[in-house]
Amino acid sequence: MPSMMHTATDLSSLLPAHGALIIDRSRAWHRDDLVCKTLIDLVGTDEPATTVVLMIRDPLVLARALINLDGKVARLCLLPSDLSPETAKGLITALGPARLLTDMPNHLSAGMPTVILDQMVQSSGRGCGQDPGPRQTTEWIFATSGTTGSPKLVTHTLQSLLRTVKPAKHELIWGQTFDLARFAGIQVFLSALLSGKIIIVPADWSLADRILHFEEHGCSAISATPTLWRKILMTPGHERLRLSQVTLGGEIADQAILQQLAATYQGARITHIYASTEAGTAFSVHDSKPGFPAAYLRSQGGIDMKIGKDGHLLVRTRAGLMRYVNDRTIFADTDGFVDTGDLVRLEGDRYLFVGRANGSINIGGNKLHPQEVEAVLLGSPQVAAVRIFAKPNPITGQIVVAEIVPSNPGEDVILFKQMLRQLCAARLKRWQVPAVFSIVTDLSMTAGQKLARSS
Amino acid sequence: MTDTRAIILDTFLAVLKEADSDASPNVTDDMVLLESGLDSLGFAILVAKLEEEQGWDPFSVSQTPYYPQKFGEFVAFYDAHCH
Repeated sequence: MPSMMHTATDLSSLLPAHGALIIDRSRAWHRDDLVCKTLIDLVGTDEPATTVVLMIRDPLVLARALINLDGKVARLCLLPSDLSPETAKGLITALGPARLLTDMPNHLSAGMPTVILDQMVQSSGRGCGQDPGPRQTTEWIFATSGTTGSPKLVTHTLQSLLRTVKPAKHELIWGQTFDLARFAGIQVFLSALLSGKIIIVPADWSLADRILHFEEHGCSAISATPTLWRKILMTPGHERLRLSQVTLGGEIADQAILQQLAATYQGARITHIYASTEAGTAFSVHDSKPGFPAAYLRSQGGIDMKIGKDGHLLVRTRAGLMRYVNDRTIFADTDGFVDTGDLVRLEGDRYLFVGRANGSINIGGNKLHPQEVEAVLLGSPQVAAVRIFAKPNPITGQIVVAEIVPSNPGEDVILFKQMLRQLCAARLKRWQVPAVFSIVTDLSMTAGQKLARSS
Repeated sequence: MTDTRAIILDTFLAVLKEADSDASPNVTDDMVLLESGLDSLGFAILVAKLEEEQGWDPFSVSQTPYYPQKFGEFVAFYDAHCH
């Protein structure tokens, strides 16, 4: 698709005119049903410098806003509907003057021009006005998932988003799992619109209902995090899906999930995508093995990769100075390489992921900082020393384990563990509470006298 | 009821209680794990606790990955891999 891109192109003009593009609960939507000038008029995009913030819960409404506003406004900022009102307001303020387009009028009162999307706009289809055609290149602004503190805002363009979108050999019918307001969700959305279709589902549906809905509409491709794939494999009905494309992204995939997906969906192409909001899509692996071939370090498809000091993986996917929109800090070095924060280790002819440089641990999609949990436990006078680390787990990928050196070694172990669990439960989120407390006489240290963080 | 089933059931109920779940599931072999009131984090904790109690974990003993769907399958997997 990138070959089709030139300056006077926007998303609506790239959409195929024939065939359904989106399937929602009630019907299939074609290009002519989705393109709607009424929406452009409602937003009031006469000023070329308009910034539009989209905070939209309904995936169909968000899809229509993106299709109709790309190429018509200067900036489109996608805020996930699950952001807290405070976080959303902070990000909106950093954008400067903007208009808000939302279907959640009670969620935030942003003190800015706001368009509430009502049922009329949601349902209006054919005959609501011709697309006036592209006017400018729109910047698409995404929020990072915010591992610590507030999310950062990162700019892309339709062109940079489509860089890795390739026409599929066969039309794929994608089942939506990622929030369309997130970078990963948009990648799937764009791939689907340009060479297939996408089945969208409300965020509050159960996984079993989603799977059933996907099956009923002939879903042939799903992209999801390894965490969600594990849940899918534990949900009855998943085996009836006839998938020819299985994509994993958003987290590092382990051998077990790759192997089981290959066994469950025999004949499907298994793709592990490595991407971040900052760098965009860097590379993908198709051999159902964890990590990536060392040969990838040689430039391929215009993407450069290198291993920095201490085993950091760095990727260069696009040119230009890269700054976060909100705090203006630069996130690429002078050569354009982005430090992914992932640590890799060479084993034979393959690089394997060994963890995050900042020590954070992924627990079923949540990012845990061991120091936070250690600080809570060290708050007890009965704890002399503590080490928090990740242990592999078949259900969530990893789980939190605590090694504790008690101040008084004579302590009753059962009561002591109970006290530790209660202390953590009172101060931490449920996924931060160690699943296992093991009582030891001293802690495992790495060579540098740092606490070892992997089991 | 096998010993394995009794041990798993006890630990399951204990993890459910710790999770402050309101669910009081009627635990049968056909109970879908992720519809039992315990989420996937809860089952991860259950596996870790069973390993702590039993000293082994069938998921690491087994040569092939396994993602159980129902309570009966979960118990059978432990039974099949016990020493």
